[in-house]
Amino acid sequence: MTDNRWSFPDLGLGVGLRTTHYNHILREQPDIGFFEILTENYLDTGGRPLYILDQIAESYPVVMHGVSMSIGSTDPINFDYLAKVKALAQRTGSLWISDHVCWTGVLGRNTHDLLPLPYTEESLKHSVERIKVVQDYLDRPLVLENPSTYLEFADSDMPEWEFIARMAEEADCGLLFDVNNVYVSAFNHGFDPVAYIDAIPADRVCQYHLAGHTNKGTHIIDTHNDHVLDPVWELFGHTIRHVGLRATLLEWDADIPPFEVVHQEVLKAGEWRSKEIANVA
Amino acid sequence: MSHEPQTVSPNLDRLQRWMQEVVVHPGTVEEAIASPGAEQEIPSENLGDVVLPSDSMTPTERVGVYHGMYLMRMEEALETDYPVLRYRLGHEAFVGLVEDYVQRFPSRAYTLNRLGDHLPQFLAEEEDRPDAEFLHDLARLELAMTQVFDEQEAPVLGAEELEAVPPEAWETAVLRPIPAFRLLAFKHAVVPDLVAFHEDRPSPRPRRRATWVAIYRRDYSVLRLELSRAEHDLLKALAGGTPLGEALAAAALKQQSARQRAHIFKWFRTWVAEGLFTGIDT
Repeated sequence: MTDNRWSFPDLGLGVGLRTTHYNHILREQPDIGFFEILTENYLDTGGRPLYILDQIAESYPVVMHGVSMSIGSTDPINFDYLAKVKALAQRTGSLWISDHVCWTGVLGRNTHDLLPLPYTEESLKHSVERIKVVQDYLDRPLVLENPSTYLEFADSDMPEWEFIARMAEEADCGLLFDVNNVYVSAFNHGFDPVAYIDAIPADRVCQYHLAGHTNKGTHIIDTHNDHVLDPVWELFGHTIRHVGLRATLLEWDADIPPFEVVHQEVLKAGEWRSKEIANVA
Repeated sequence: MSHEPQTVSPNLDRLQRWMQEVVVHPGTVEEAIASPGAEQEIPSENLGDVVLPSDSMTPTERVGVYHGMYLMRMEEALETDYPVLRYRLGHEAFVGLVEDYVQRFPSRAYTLNRLGDHLPQFLAEEEDRPDAEFLHDLARLELAMTQVFDEQEAPVLGAEELEAVPPEAWETAVLRPIPAFRLLAFKHAVVPDLVAFHEDRPSPRPRRRATWVAIYRRDYSVLRLELSRAEHDLLKALAGGTPLGEALAAAALKQQSARQRAHIFKWFRTWVAEGLFTGIDT
């Protein structure tokens, strides 16, 4: 087990901040280590979402998680967007800023999907160059999440875990390691998820994600609409053994249940953290 | 822009242009892969050179996962901003509207919150669509509500500031509305649709009738004031920067009796109490 190289703190257990839980959180002040916000939901509003966020950021650590940086896109980097991201990070005191290893659109359009990159030398070089530019602008390391994907490009000349590991090292960026995404992609593409986890540079990992998914039989979709499944918990245990303890977040973004249900689910992650640490000790 | 079709190993920008063309194309995934825009980047017969099959899915099926999710995402985003329109149209008609709309006005913003900005304009130009004029009005109402929801917060003009205005300055004083304020004039009665939605009753029959509504935010809640034409005209003048004396005199001229003219001051007090103004320039 190792620390991350930026000494970002292990914030314990967190959940994604969702509007349906605003009132509960403000009223009950639940015992949660941190909240993760969806960056884009707070960039262009001066209304209730920002008002609530300001209050929550006074009581809890907040980290920002975006879906529109489009780090792998061949479109120009959107510096207007980055300026707003940077300002929001200053406002909330976000300890780190994360997004995804993906692209979301080209030719000025946004599909609002996390589209897959080919794992080629060309796309690796392209992504690394853009990550460096973004990090310089944001004046902090960027933390990028491994994606869940539903297709593989014939052109790819390296496995995803090699792409992710080399990208992190060459761009000197952090990783948000989504354990469920590894499981989803491993099922969809037929690779060994444990080999993936073992290839990840532990000192680059700043945060974990856990979530539920939907098995369609022929493939799995990363739906974030249910409890975390047992095989993902097992992989989470393996990840802790390989990487160590990191801020651990439960994502529940569709069919969102009452806050207590989400809270109980993330507390299971706490049990896994305790168990794995006890085993190491 | 024209590109030579690629047979194998498309470079990154070509691959991304191709995938976007496919993902956003309406119809089936097969139609999307064979669309002219996609074919221009990668010929459909070369799909197997670009996307690998899995043990259980063909390349087309795998691309179809992304293709299928695009429209669902657009529908979800527009339903969030236009719940009353969705309620009136029902699922099938709303999906059809979304499919047509995003072809014409695809998202170009980093946030889905702006996806629906052109929907009123789109409906205004859809003259053949049943009830298009009514739907245009309804969409304007809902767009105003989302805009007001997101506007910047501002301090509200208080009684103390009003009392501090010297009597001789009232004539030329100009009121500044809060940013979270929209004033709307409709050709149709659209508010009953909003009420029916919130009360879970069937949407009423579209009715052509001039109506006026102010949408504003107070204590972070989006509220509305239904107005008469006279109220609308005065509020429009005030919010547009017409000096108080001029605006009130114009409003008074339209009121025939002293009793009616007394309403003007009642309206004014209501608007101030509701927090529609952020300041007064003297």
